Amino acid sequence: MNTMNYAFLCSAPPAPNGLKAAVVGSGPAGLSAAGWLACAGYEVHVYDKLPKAGGLLVFGIPGFRIPAKRIEDAAEKLAAEYGVRFHFCTKICTQDKVCESGDEFVQEMVSLSDLLHECAAVLICTGSWRPRRLNIPGEDLPGVYTSLEFLFPLRACKMAETRVAPPQVEGRRVAVIGAGLSAVDVAQSCLRLGAGKISMLYRKTVDDAPAGRMEIKLLRQRGVHWREQVTPIRITGEDRARKLVYTQAGVDQNGEQELDVDLVVAAIGEVPTNPFPRELRLEDISKDGQGWLQMTRFEGVFVAGDVLTGPSKIGRAILSGLRAAESLDGWIKSRDPNADAAKEADHG
Amino acid sequence: MAESKKTLYIDYNLCIGCESCEAVCGYLYGQPRIHMTRTSDGITVPISCHHCANPACLKACNVNAFHQDEDGAVVLDPKACVGCMVCLSVCPFAAISHSRSGPDPVAKCDLCAVRRAKGMTPACVEICPCGAILFGSPDEIEAELRQRVAEGIVQSHMHPERFGTQVGLRAMKKSVSVEGYAAGRKSDPED
Repeated sequence: MNTMNYAFLCSAPPAPNGLKAAVVGSGPAGLSAAGWLACAGYEVHVYDKLPKAGGLLVFGIPGFRIPAKRIEDAAEKLAAEYGVRFHFCTKICTQDKVCESGDEFVQEMVSLSDLLHECAAVLICTGSWRPRRLNIPGEDLPGVYTSLEFLFPLRACKMAETRVAPPQVEGRRVAVIGAGLSAVDVAQSCLRLGAGKISMLYRKTVDDAPAGRMEIKLLRQRGVHWREQVTPIRITGEDRARKLVYTQAGVDQNGEQELDVDLVVAAIGEVPTNPFPRELRLEDISKDGQGWLQMTRFEGVFVAGDVLTGPSKIGRAILSGLRAAESLDGWIKSRDPNADAAKEADHG
Repeated sequence: MAESKKTLYIDYNLCIGCESCEAVCGYLYGQPRIHMTRTSDGITVPISCHHCANPACLKACNVNAFHQDEDGAVVLDPKACVGCMVCLSVCPFAAISHSRSGPDPVAKCDLCAVRRAKGMTPACVEICPCGAILFGSPDEIEAELRQRVAEGIVQSHMHPERFGTQVGLRAMKKSVSVEGYAAGRKSDPED
């Protein structure tokens, strides 16, 4: 089988154009942008807080959907053939505290201003890593996870790292809240890990499930209990989560029901993790109108992928990364027309 | 031509509907030639030209705008095309589309003809994170598919508890059978 190739826009590595560009985040948007820039002759530096490239492709989406080796090989190809330099376990930061999944691995911090000093431009592709919360009592009990808190350690612990402990699922009763693709991934992972009982609770009906009716049907065939039109009220338990209290529309008006649980996983979506929320206001970015596409109000700082759009699909992140890289290149060339020497002879 | 013929094959067992193929195709050509299509049950499926050996579009075209190039790609000559869309109505895979951008009336996959001329493979093949899109001669594609099935068969024999009675790719993809799950786990709650 072919190796996946993010530098798919050129047939061979081009001559260097003498410019440095930094990409923050090595998910689908970051890797695609790195590939684009490498094909245009840039010396590309990719920073990621995790010890491997791939972002959610590797650390969020289960391996039975996307083979992690294929992403690893693709990053290796970028590094070996196109000279892309990966800086892992490195977080680009301001003085703000670190607080998302994956921060366990951070060994080094680099400031954005240092990056801007060293590179002609910086592209931020930090994705959507901060989970949305349920905002109900008991949410902070041990045994209550968000989808990323649950899925990330399952993937990360396979890397012989002792920093993360995977949730113990075998024989346990798991309640998954949500019906999107990450809720389905959590339920599927629980099936694989031999959970005792899996319940899936969703606020709307199966016809509204973002993952689609078919995925829910397949899970139900495999023994997952499906409850729809459910509103979680609270999670109770002395030392850890033991009961999930909820109401269900149409079943017993105003009546609260209880579900015995060992684990609760809230898979209700993530919000963008802009590393510089105070400095870089993403809502200020013109999405396609004036100015340089996807450039922030800081000259030379661009954004792409889920951090800009919120959680979407891999394809959208790739497209966003490619467009941002093209815009970044245009911005650099517009400032320094002499830098055009090796411009994308092969692009097309 | 038969010897060197190449085609695109989508392994729907491995596709996760992530839209990467459509994204890069759209980036290169303005309008994607591979179309992510959501079924009524919510499964997203890429639809693209199969570059048939006996193409219905080629036969039906009133103005002979189609030909098969040296790699076997079914290619449309936009200068000859009048945009009658009879090709779309006869295509078993609905792989041809009205052009929404540019002067050409009809858009379809040409297996990235411009890229092939430079020795590159179609962009969707390069970017698929699942290895679900194969490009090669029928022999190469068959060999790869058999390899995948063989791996699945061996896995399901090694781990019958995970794969149940299913074999091959279906087993690898679905992994936990209803029977296996129900018999093995359901009746022993922890506490």
